[in-house]
Amino acid sequence: MKKIADFILKIGEMDRRWIFIIIALVVLLPLFFPIGLPIRPTDSTQTAYDAMDDLEHGSKVLMSFEYGPSTKPEIHPMTYAVLRHLFKNKHKVYITCLWPDGQFMAEEAIEEIAEQEFNLTYGKDYVLLGFRPGNEAVVKGIVSNIRKLYSTDARGTLTDKIPMMEGINKLADFDFIFTASAGYPGTVEWVQYGADPTGVPMSTGVTSIQVNEVMPYVQSGQVKGILAGMPGAAEYEKLVGIPGIGTSGMDAQSVAHVVIVLFIIFGNVAFFIERQRQKKY
Amino acid sequence: MTFGTILGAWVAVFLTLAIFSYLYKDNPFYKIAEHVFVGISAGYWASMFFWTQIQPNLFGRLWPASEYNADSFWYKIYNGLHVLTSAVFPEGGIDKGHDMHLIYLIPFALGVMMLLSVSSKLSWFARWGIAYTVGMAAGLRAYGFLNSNVIGQIKGSAMQFVGGDLPFFALIGNSIFNNIVILVGTIAGLAYFYFSKEHKGAFGKLTKLGIYFLMISFGASFGFAVMGRISLLIGRFVDLIDYSKPQYNHATIWILIAMIVLLGYNAFKDRGKNTPVSEDAA
Amino acid sequence: MILKRHIPILIVTVIGLLTLFGWFIEQPTIQAFVDDDATQWYDILASFAIILGAMNLLKMQGRKVIKQQEGWGYSLFAIGGFIFSILAGFVIKGSESVAWGTHVTSKGTLFKWMFEFMFTPLSATMFALLAFFVASASYRAFRIRNFEATLLLVAGIIIMLGRVPIGSYISSWFVMYILVLLIGIAVNVKFGNKMITFSSVLTGLLIVTVAGMLTGWPIDQPGIFYLPIIQEWIYYNPNVAGARAIMIGIGLGIFATSIRYILGIEKSYIGE
Repeated sequence: MKKIADFILKIGEMDRRWIFIIIALVVLLPLFFPIGLPIRPTDSTQTAYDAMDDLEHGSKVLMSFEYGPSTKPEIHPMTYAVLRHLFKNKHKVYITCLWPDGQFMAEEAIEEIAEQEFNLTYGKDYVLLGFRPGNEAVVKGIVSNIRKLYSTDARGTLTDKIPMMEGINKLADFDFIFTASAGYPGTVEWVQYGADPTGVPMSTGVTSIQVNEVMPYVQSGQVKGILAGMPGAAEYEKLVGIPGIGTSGMDAQSVAHVVIVLFIIFGNVAFFIERQRQKKY
Repeated sequence: MTFGTILGAWVAVFLTLAIFSYLYKDNPFYKIAEHVFVGISAGYWASMFFWTQIQPNLFGRLWPASEYNADSFWYKIYNGLHVLTSAVFPEGGIDKGHDMHLIYLIPFALGVMMLLSVSSKLSWFARWGIAYTVGMAAGLRAYGFLNSNVIGQIKGSAMQFVGGDLPFFALIGNSIFNNIVILVGTIAGLAYFYFSKEHKGAFGKLTKLGIYFLMISFGASFGFAVMGRISLLIGRFVDLIDYSKPQYNHATIWILIAMIVLLGYNAFKDRGKNTPVSEDAA
Repeated sequence: MILKRHIPILIVTVIGLLTLFGWFIEQPTIQAFVDDDATQWYDILASFAIILGAMNLLKMQGRKVIKQQEGWGYSLFAIGGFIFSILAGFVIKGSESVAWGTHVTSKGTLFKWMFEFMFTPLSATMFALLAFFVASASYRAFRIRNFEATLLLVAGIIIMLGRVPIGSYISSWFVMYILVLLIGIAVNVKFGNKMITFSSVLTGLLIVTVAGMLTGWPIDQPGIFYLPIIQEWIYYNPNVAGARAIMIGIGLGIFATSIRYILGIEKSYIGE
């Protein structure tokens, strides 16, 4: 028993670089050798899916991209899944960005989903209005007069000349808002300055870090459901029926979580053994 | 695959592995990547904001193409600027669908004052521009946060507790018990942040309950934080695996081998010396 | 003094009051200014602030190189990176078919190449690095020292396991057995009697085993011990309560601070 306790204490003090190697292997190996764990959509993802699925075909949906390359692995899969869902149901998608990198992310998503997969027409089925700096001031601008803020789209075309912009003058002219957000400005600003004042229903996908910040809005119904991080993206892919990048990362995510929980338990066992010894002596 | 893409892949892999090399210890690869990041970020953001805001929305309102008049004094200034840089000031005015609004000379002046503040003698110049942004943000946020974060959340806490068709207890979905938990937890948590009264007696018990709810919330945040970080790591590894393929000339493999050899040689040379490992909180 | 102090305070007060009451005033000119022009000016000044930041960076790194301070060699990389990104942004477009202005977001340009192969890997990897440190902190620093820390740890573990697919594979019976063992530890700490501890653990194990055998060991029943369901309950109820309390507190704090700025009581933006 003493030998086991000594061994546990010794391991408890090992160089942190061994921990780094273990984490690297634990994340890397499932990417090469997938396990294929089935994904079970949670209530919050289901609510977001149902809110968008219940929209009448051909509805006008405003989608806002507020993330960049640093949070792309978490949010990009969910924007792909949501775009697939919206295009499948023949909705008109209007894309804005409160982050400048969001425009690059939007361009990538549009190219792969709208152009290559669904073969849709720019200006008729979807439009990229683009990035405008100003954070919540941009949301306020969209609420009051979207055409003044977006006199041209991201490709330099005057918005007055874009067919699907007909009848769109302010936020209240949209049927739904979906924001893919990684921080400030993002979901919170859309709730505070957009959805709440105008009553336009909204849903959101956020990074795992941001979930708790947004949960009270979800619980109070100000936001209809939430896609939480990469697991949320994988769940939405499952509901849409098209597995993507989110699904492929879930095995690595699961195994890494188990290993970190074991680290916590092991670390505390070592802590208790040491505390017992200190009390004894 | 074009040469530009392959070169880009090698650069991306080098920069990625250079940042990861920090896990071994602080080293020149990491320092180079870190400094390149600082420089590239500054230039990226400056370019992005200039081309998406200053050029179309400021200059586009001061010299719109719709009111171009080559004979006017104002547009003669523009033509002079066009000679300096035709990219920023194209011929015939800036066509972004705006009308002329000379009132935008005010933010232009405030902006130029901000830029002049880089000189230590004129550092106070930035105060006017900063004052405008502070005033604007204060006005916007006072309403926004009060409406959504306070009133909206209080409305959300006012839920059904008696009667109706809600079950008393349900693990998933609404129930009277769950609503009571949320209300009690919210009040107890708020009570904890009230420091004008000593946390003793019955009030102390309420605040203690509040701490428990806050701890559960922080634990959930910790769980989500771990989830988020692992997701980002998965994303990087997916990219590195992609760049190890033959179409990118196995960039990941070659650069990884080169870095391991160089860092290993460095470690061999420094053996016996006390060099610090990567420093962090844990 | 007037230029450096009083005018900035006056600007904050006037603009702050205009923006705040702009939510409630229906007068068209004021509404138009508050909703459109005021926000545009804000955007423009924010852009100038970013450019000012870049200029300051260049100044600092340049000073380091000129004075040959420690690490000045690395500053050359910072300056080089900055110059490269400015060249990509203002001088070398890389694609003749794309107009200046849209080149910062169009494909085929040098700016896009820089974003894709330099900016993206660098920023993404900086964040991904944190995964390793989170794991290291979990192992070396996360300790159960009191009841509050235990609550935090247990909530964190339940969320971590319950939100990923592997959580669905952990049977509720396994969780019940763990609970029985934990209760046994608590009983041992409380009573310190081996007989009491042994009999309580044995009783608990027997109850769980008999119940499992009678019900056929369904993986997700009873629901109260099934990780995905416990996780969902914690996520929507006590977690929301805590987060809501923090949110209301922050909301009140921000409202109060904004009013302080508008009334000129808070003057930190001018260094006071």
